[in-house]
Amino acid sequence: MNIKKAFAAAIATVSIFSLAACGGSNTATGTTDTKADKGLDVMGQTIKYDPNHLVNDGKPINLEYWSWGSKGSDPVYDMIDAYQKIYPNVKIKTVNVSWDDYWTKLPLALKGKNGPAIFNIHNSYDALIRPYAADYDIDKADLEADYTTASVHEDENGKVKYIDSVINTGNIYYNKKLWAEAGLTDADIPTTWDEFIKVAQKLTKTDGGKMTQAGFNFNGDAYSAIYQGLNYQKGELLFSEDGTKANYDNDVTAENMQFLKDLYDKYKVGSNDFGNDYTQSFGNGQSAMIYAWGHMEGTLKEKYPDIEYGIFATPTFTKDTPFAYDRYNGESTPGVNGNQTKEQQAVAQDFIKFILANDDYIRDAVKYLNSFPAKSSLQEDKDILAQPVMAAIQPRVDRLIWPGPAPATVETSGKTAFENVFQNGMSIAEALKTAQNQMDTDMKSSNFKSMESKYAYYDEHK
Amino acid sequence: MKNTKSSGSVLSKIFSLRNIAVTFLVVYFAVFLAYPIFKAFAGSLHDWNPLVGTYEWVGLANFAQILTDKLFWTSMLNTAIFAGVSTFFRIVLGLALALLLSSKIVKCKDSLRGLFYMPTITPLVAVSFVWMWMFDPQFGMIDRVTGLNINWLHDTKWAMPAIIIMTIWKDFGYATVLYLAGIMNLPRDVYEAASIDGANGVQTFFKITLPLLKSSTLFIVITSLISYLQAYVQFLVMTEGGPGTSTYTISYLIFDQAFQKYNFGVASAQAVVLFLFTGVLTLIMFKVSGDTDLS
Repeated sequence: MNIKKAFAAAIATVSIFSLAACGGSNTATGTTDTKADKGLDVMGQTIKYDPNHLVNDGKPINLEYWSWGSKGSDPVYDMIDAYQKIYPNVKIKTVNVSWDDYWTKLPLALKGKNGPAIFNIHNSYDALIRPYAADYDIDKADLEADYTTASVHEDENGKVKYIDSVINTGNIYYNKKLWAEAGLTDADIPTTWDEFIKVAQKLTKTDGGKMTQAGFNFNGDAYSAIYQGLNYQKGELLFSEDGTKANYDNDVTAENMQFLKDLYDKYKVGSNDFGNDYTQSFGNGQSAMIYAWGHMEGTLKEKYPDIEYGIFATPTFTKDTPFAYDRYNGESTPGVNGNQTKEQQAVAQDFIKFILANDDYIRDAVKYLNSFPAKSSLQEDKDILAQPVMAAIQPRVDRLIWPGPAPATVETSGKTAFENVFQNGMSIAEALKTAQNQMDTDMKSSNFKSMESKYAYYDEHK
Repeated sequence: MKNTKSSGSVLSKIFSLRNIAVTFLVVYFAVFLAYPIFKAFAGSLHDWNPLVGTYEWVGLANFAQILTDKLFWTSMLNTAIFAGVSTFFRIVLGLALALLLSSKIVKCKDSLRGLFYMPTITPLVAVSFVWMWMFDPQFGMIDRVTGLNINWLHDTKWAMPAIIIMTIWKDFGYATVLYLAGIMNLPRDVYEAASIDGANGVQTFFKITLPLLKSSTLFIVITSLISYLQAYVQFLVMTEGGPGTSTYTISYLIFDQAFQKYNFGVASAQAVVLFLFTGVLTLIMFKVSGDTDLS
């Protein structure tokens, strides 16, 4: 009986303590900082950051930073180390959450009072974090002066919740060994799609009617990115004039789908059945060329370090300057939790100013994310342009367009249309119509508004 | 003194181990079972996205949307095919192997039973990845061994059969073990009587074994159907519903609506329809078999 009672009491005690622990605490203990003058230089071009001040009046404070990335892949981690070194009273705990869980856990955490003060953002999930993110406490003119793509992130009040640290777009990756084996040199790098087809044919090999090497491979999830770029090259917008509906079922999308189908069926430079993943096929040396974004460099370095590859700009349909070479997307700067305490938000805002003024943040982002700097002062930087992907992007950077944080359906329904045409034998017209209907249904309750009208050459569209 | 004693005994009665255990169970089921089910029913009548706090009454609009959506009916049909075929082969294969293992011609019965049950206890995600590689047309084992040239998971004709093959392989062991238990409990005297009456093997199987295993079969059918109607992991890993939408199942569609598009209201309406469908199907199974006693 006594044992039973003791056991019951133990359970009750543990339960009470467990429930109490859920409440958490904001009380910070740790080092107090009394030295405002850090002896450090003011950093930044237009956005200036003077580190010679006390943060949180020098009192200890603990914050959290949430990210799906980690040190070596998320440039904010290095900045946290640098910031904590300057301000010993500030402790920023980094919390890694897997990508799959991040977009359910983060909004729920931000909804409450104990969510992270600072958090990593991917702009495709803008709708989920926008209600909870605080506006940046930095003048918009300063942001625009330092960051070339900042203006597209401003709301109707001229405020931003995040901007791009770096941007990326598609390029053609080619296997240098296979290129040389086919007798091709740098002079053969194509600038138009017609030239590209000829090169791709030279790079294609068959044995007894069976393909053994693809000249160009876009099997897998490459289509969604390719079609958007091809449509922009022809001046077709991805969204309606008012920016609220997808513009998928149109003649240009049909033309481009047919063009891609011709690459496989008419020009025989690849095959639907030649591997299911263009990345893997390229990494295994089975496909000579692929279309991919900057992340491919990281993938190749990590998974296929033996592949010797080159990068060139995605070809265009004519030699003329297109409406846009391609779509771009940015890697976002961190968000500040608007539901956190004033003290935590103040430190978070100070941290944001610190990283935006700090070139090291952008250099790390370029390195870790294989992406082009959105900071104007670094866009001509020799060290950065020494990377092949940066050199391929730099001449086109003014003619890249951002459609905005497009709902997932634009990519997923586009992918479905591609599979319906390439794998299910559906007609292009039917596949486009089906995808358009799906996009319309999915976007019916969305508040999305395209940013295409903010593009500098918007008036040139079809 | 007396009062203190009596209040102490009341407290000890309230905080007895039994009461605490029952309370934990009740709280557990209320929080993790009853509340989510109620919330899903309520959510199906709302435009609901808990991640941004949207919860607006829309009545039956979500149901109207899904019932007029072609993809919903495609997914229902795919689910019915997947659940029906997988359940059928799980039972046929499970029963065949159970009969084999219970016969005198097979040695090492315990080892074989363990071997057949191993895929059942292996995580589905891991199994799906392994089979995805096995189905690969360039380096996969299946095409190489059979000499076929099929792009299994990226050909609309073969994607669903490929997933069904994998699912049957993974799950037949469950049926085998249950049938084995059933076979071991069959009364010997009935077989002896059948033997005296001159019944052959086929007659014995169809007239005695199968009817006597009705409870086991019903249990396997119902649990298989319920689990296959909710299947989405293998579809998520192996095809993501593709090519196109050819392997979309109702549970994958619910996952897609809830966690890709964040339309929890629409997803809840789909879940309610699935719930009703599963319930009706289970009732029909009981009625058809004429036996509600699974014990």
